[in-house]
Amino acid sequence: MALPSNNKMSCWAAPGVYKHHEQRKVCISRPKYRDGRKDKAVKVYTINLESRYVMVQGVPAIGVMTELVQLCALYGVVEEYRPLDEYPAEEFTEVYLIKFQKLTSARAAKRNMDEKSFYGGVLHMCYVPEYESVEDTRLKLLDRRRYIMRAAQNKGTVEKPTTSNTDRQSNMTLSQSHEMPRNDNNTGGNSNFNYYSDFTLLPLPPQEQHYHMGQQGTELREDKMGTLHNAVSNTNQQSEYNSVSQTSSENIQKNRQQRPTQNQTPMVRFVPRTTQLEKRKHRKEEAAGQTLTDLSEVNETLIGPKLPEPPKIDMEDESMNTTVCLIRNTMKRVSIPRRKMDKPSIHSLTLTKLSLSLSNVLKTAGQIICNIY
Amino acid sequence: MSITTMWKNSSEGSDRLEYLQNLVTEFQDTDNEEAKEQVLANLANFAYDPKNMEYLRELQVLDLFLDMLTEENENFVEFGIGGLCNLSVDPECRDTILHNSGISLVTNCLSSQREETVLSAITTLMNLTTPLSRAEITDPAILQCMLRFSLSESPRLRNLAGVFLQDCCAKEQVAQTEQEMHGQQTAVGIPLAEGEISATLSPSVHSLHCG
Repeated sequence: MALPSNNKMSCWAAPGVYKHHEQRKVCISRPKYRDGRKDKAVKVYTINLESRYVMVQGVPAIGVMTELVQLCALYGVVEEYRPLDEYPAEEFTEVYLIKFQKLTSARAAKRNMDEKSFYGGVLHMCYVPEYESVEDTRLKLLDRRRYIMRAAQNKGTVEKPTTSNTDRQSNMTLSQSHEMPRNDNNTGGNSNFNYYSDFTLLPLPPQEQHYHMGQQGTELREDKMGTLHNAVSNTNQQSEYNSVSQTSSENIQKNRQQRPTQNQTPMVRFVPRTTQLEKRKHRKEEAAGQTLTDLSEVNETLIGPKLPEPPKIDMEDESMNTTVCLIRNTMKRVSIPRRKMDKPSIHSLTLTKLSLSLSNVLKTAGQIICNIY
Repeated sequence: MSITTMWKNSSEGSDRLEYLQNLVTEFQDTDNEEAKEQVLANLANFAYDPKNMEYLRELQVLDLFLDMLTEENENFVEFGIGGLCNLSVDPECRDTILHNSGISLVTNCLSSQREETVLSAITTLMNLTTPLSRAEITDPAILQCMLRFSLSESPRLRNLAGVFLQDCCAKEQVAQTEQEMHGQQTAVGIPLAEGEISATLSPSVHSLHCG
């Protein structure tokens, strides 16, 4: 018999018995790999079957409605509830209609309360979407759509980081490969330099080593021409310059490689060779400025035999002697940087000759002055 | 430890994919109808969770569900359309269904004997509505069917058809279709199934459809 159509069906209307209220037989023939902990019927749940409205069957008819509602309230806010007296029920049991505020609450209540013991009876929970209004149905579908969209967006945002995470991971692996030495650098400070020791690491040279190397070379080595300084000093200088150029380029590489390590505190502070040379030059300039009155040789630590000093000529006059000394010192200052630099064109013997000739000139000048007086 | 426990404990995508792959493989390999129904219902229920949608797409389960719509077994049809109803909310799944002529296959389910099948079909059609597909989905034949459903005994069918007519169709379109229905004396459009789904129509129209 057809019921009168009523678009404004409310939950207070006479309940109808529908197929989806029935508890189906559980499936017992599932293979092990897809057999769940709880035996369930073969049934497909869609959004149409779910609802905020839930029917509870099998409630013992002992006046436990309050307890039932309290139990349901554990899973979410209950908006409405009432007994369904017209609904066919087993003997000594009651049927209740519960309206939750949210579908998720209804879902949780059904999952947890279905087939559960309650005051001696066994509850059977089922959704009753037929109690929904058109608006309820629309909101239900809208919520489902929003949930899926949100899940898809979250997945997209998660995936991007994951892809970027994969990128990050790949970057991390790359950076790890770069960082491996860095980490080694972190763990053992000297390992930083051990890593680079094959290439550019040089021990800090003594300040005067370079200066005296030239002297050593000029003294110890002899070229084919018989001159001690030229070839050896040239080769030494060239080898030094080669090494300097190499170290400078390697230092640049070193600096680049060591840039990431600037945040770290290395055990030994490495100073590039070019800086050392500049410092030495600066010190020499300062020393040269100070040694206008003092002899530079006094502060220098000499290695090896001294060069024969030019003969000091006594001009028999203090002022003349002072002048001679000044000239001599000036000559020395002029000769020393030249030795350090590329072109040691002036030999020490030549310098001595010059100083001698100058002193002869001064002597002659002194004699003339004496003759005058 | 049962597979279910492992399933719940493990959240790795590979385990999930592997399990779903096993289900699909069993469905393809077995001849047992009961086992096929169980697996199909499993897959349709898994389609409800958005976490599984990507894997089901990858395993071409969408095509499997679409294939089920033309089966003789009503359980296959119900579970298949149920799975499509669950999956079609996802935009990518929706596009896949549309590309595979899903509208016509789903529309055929509106004539099913089973209420769940019809409800799933209506919901799926609503999910498949896009600016491009709206014209096909709001075909006069489908609108007429929905108008009949809106007068049905079943509250769920009434509600769902009402939402379809209000949200997917223009008011003018619905009004025009209503007028055409009242004016028409011949059976046009999608036939209603006998038994459960019998719309409360005027006697003349009702006798034409159910006669």
